[in-house]
Amino acid sequence: MVEYKPQYYPGSSKVAKNRKKYMDPSYKLRKLRTISDDDLVKLMGHRVPGEAYKSVHPPLEEMGEPACPIRELVEPTPGAKAGDRIRYIQFTDSVYFTPLTPYMRAWMGHTRYRGVDIGVLSGRVPLEARERDLEKVAKDLVETEIFDPARCGIRGATVHGHSLRLDENGMMFDALRRFVFDKKTGEVVYVKDQIGVPLDKPISVGKPIKEEELREMTSEYRVDGVPFREDKEMIGFVQRLHMLRTEAGFDPNKVKGI
Amino acid sequence: MATEKRMFLEALRKKFKESPEEKYTKFYIYDGWKQSKRKQEFVEWGTKLAKERGIPFYNPDMHLGGIPLGQRVLMPYKLSQTDIYCEGDDLHFINNAAMQQMWHDIRRTVIVGLDAAHMVLQKRLGKEVTPETVNHYLEVLNHALPGAAVIQEHMVETHPGLVSDSYVKVFTGDDELADEIDKRFLIDINKEFPADQAAQLKAAVGKRIYQVLRMPTIVAMTCDGGTMSRWSAMQISMSMVNAYKLMAGEAAIGEFAFAAKHAEVIEMGTLMPWRRARGPNEPGGVPLGYLADMCQASRVKPEDPTWVALEAISMGAVLYDQFWFGSYMSGGVGFTQYATCTYTDNILDDFCYYGADYVKKKYGGFGKAKPSWDLIKDVATEVTLYGLEQYERFPALMETHFGGSQRAAVVAAGAGVAVSLATGNCTAGINGWYLSQLLHKEEMGRLGFYGYDQQDQCGSANSFSYRSDEGLPFNLRGVNYPNYALNVGHQSAHTGIVQAAHSGRGDAWTTNPLIKIAFADKDLKFDFTHPRLCFGKGALREFMPAGERSLIIPSR
Repeated sequence: MVEYKPQYYPGSSKVAKNRKKYMDPSYKLRKLRTISDDDLVKLMGHRVPGEAYKSVHPPLEEMGEPACPIRELVEPTPGAKAGDRIRYIQFTDSVYFTPLTPYMRAWMGHTRYRGVDIGVLSGRVPLEARERDLEKVAKDLVETEIFDPARCGIRGATVHGHSLRLDENGMMFDALRRFVFDKKTGEVVYVKDQIGVPLDKPISVGKPIKEEELREMTSEYRVDGVPFREDKEMIGFVQRLHMLRTEAGFDPNKVKGI
Repeated sequence: MATEKRMFLEALRKKFKESPEEKYTKFYIYDGWKQSKRKQEFVEWGTKLAKERGIPFYNPDMHLGGIPLGQRVLMPYKLSQTDIYCEGDDLHFINNAAMQQMWHDIRRTVIVGLDAAHMVLQKRLGKEVTPETVNHYLEVLNHALPGAAVIQEHMVETHPGLVSDSYVKVFTGDDELADEIDKRFLIDINKEFPADQAAQLKAAVGKRIYQVLRMPTIVAMTCDGGTMSRWSAMQISMSMVNAYKLMAGEAAIGEFAFAAKHAEVIEMGTLMPWRRARGPNEPGGVPLGYLADMCQASRVKPEDPTWVALEAISMGAVLYDQFWFGSYMSGGVGFTQYATCTYTDNILDDFCYYGADYVKKKYGGFGKAKPSWDLIKDVATEVTLYGLEQYERFPALMETHFGGSQRAAVVAAGAGVAVSLATGNCTAGINGWYLSQLLHKEEMGRLGFYGYDQQDQCGSANSFSYRSDEGLPFNLRGVNYPNYALNVGHQSAHTGIVQAAHSGRGDAWTTNPLIKIAFADKDLKFDFTHPRLCFGKGALREFMPAGERSLIIPSR
């Protein structure tokens, strides 16, 4: 039997290749900036830096769990072992050449991380996990190439902005103005946490990625970038998927060739 | 299509006062809610009324801890294919009397056949039924239906000034009989419909005669949909007793009541399941094909089936998304913001006409091609790609439909309507819709929200399925179909997908000829021939509804 090799995603275009790359956990995401652990904790706003994690149940070791083959099979994450609360980080990604689209955040999250629950909406993607696990995942999500300081936003609520035009500094709209462009340093600075509570000190998340670089890195098809129309393999894949589902729903005996 | 021919460009320029192709703009400079005249009015009233009632009231400073609405342009909306611009607030049904009246006119309508009653009169009671007796009965019922006594003594009655919108009319497919009905009571099929449509409708109705009963709007406002057939059945039975000089209470009268309440009744909406516990004649029970038939655009402009579908879509948006999902199911006010996407700014119109032109050029006209995989793939893919490309070419368009569900609904509606037009088959149309949703999701890497996408990701599989609880002929689906029970933002377009298939091939109706005829009635308050224009009049506060209570309340 041929060894199974995940393909992750169809398509022949640059965008499709980027999608495959981000979803493939063997590809190491490029680190572009450093955000201190404490600053990340402040941005998320779930606890004060240095504060102990709150727990919702005793550590698993103390709980005397029942015999269960699934529990034996699945190693709990550190947060689950400790009984941490489930907390969140949520992102809004602009339609203008951001590295990740909402579905990409979910697909990539599920291939790379354990113990995460990711929802997908057009204008926001919440990722929930046990708190200490969340902080590890969030580090990747903010420090690496999948985050652009200007066109990705860390937003718990009032996420409006993904589809709006960009402001004069190339920043995505944010009604709460949690982040601002510092013209002196050329960096994007958060002045409020993800839910909109003012921070004691501004937190820099670095310089915006240049548009020409974003166009190379993006996982978004766009008519003014990589047009979906030109990725014939991708379109054919979706059409086939739709036909198979339709025929299976009408009469599964009609489905051939899969 | 040449850029300047895009139908939505004029609205985009007016909304943003900037080039629709510009990618950059300024935010946070618009003085919040003060940029909106309507919000200013709200603040003025809120402040005044807070003082009067002594309880805090409308106060935009409560928004986001003091950050008001309007950090971006609070854009106006154009009612598609009209000259009317209004503010988004004017399209919430609370603020729009025409929208309320559309729903009230639907809810307060019941169709009741007369043939069973006539049979009882003739065969069981030995009474003669002639056009003269029918006219007399209708005059009695026009007295009784709004809430007046016909056989009792010392009875309370309703004030005619409050219920003047209540009446009964009849229609038949028999021209000879129709000729003998008093014209004040007749919905004249020959007069209301183009000749070819009238011929189809008369053939469907045959010699049968049906009553169309409109209960008072004030009843529709204060009671539920289940009230309507009870109200009408009581007044029908009383009027029969009066008009034909019958004994009140003999066994045969029970048969009138049964016919009027059950056997001959056509409700506008079916019962809802217990988990959504609604009676008949509620918006959730109105099948897509019934709503398409209530829309009368097809009889005033049959030569433009795309326009006909778009008018039907606007009714679906208001009834299903704004009334049903937005209020009955969800509560709150958010759904209006979302639902307007299908009937404002000529955006869906542009996508649908693009699809229509594509179909005409490639398939030789509407309803000319048989449904096939090649056609569905070709048409749905082309219209989907066109729609997505417009959002990407015109950043102001993307900003107008700022929610992914709006874009998903509008793009898929264009695809579904185009497939329906090409094939005259709305099941093929809905299949095209689902292909569009899957293409959209992969292209943008985003679609709607959790509850929006779910149905679309399994919709391919149920589009041609006829298994119970999973499939149903598309005309008969609606939000009462299990998989569409929470299918917000879809049913408007689905109404148009049904309509496009039938108007594309020149059908006089989509699903029920009786409903099509019942709403071909100039005495209805809402204009079912031009719903978008009528919603616009409501937005401009130029629409006069029924159900006003000024006669029984103190003057201001």
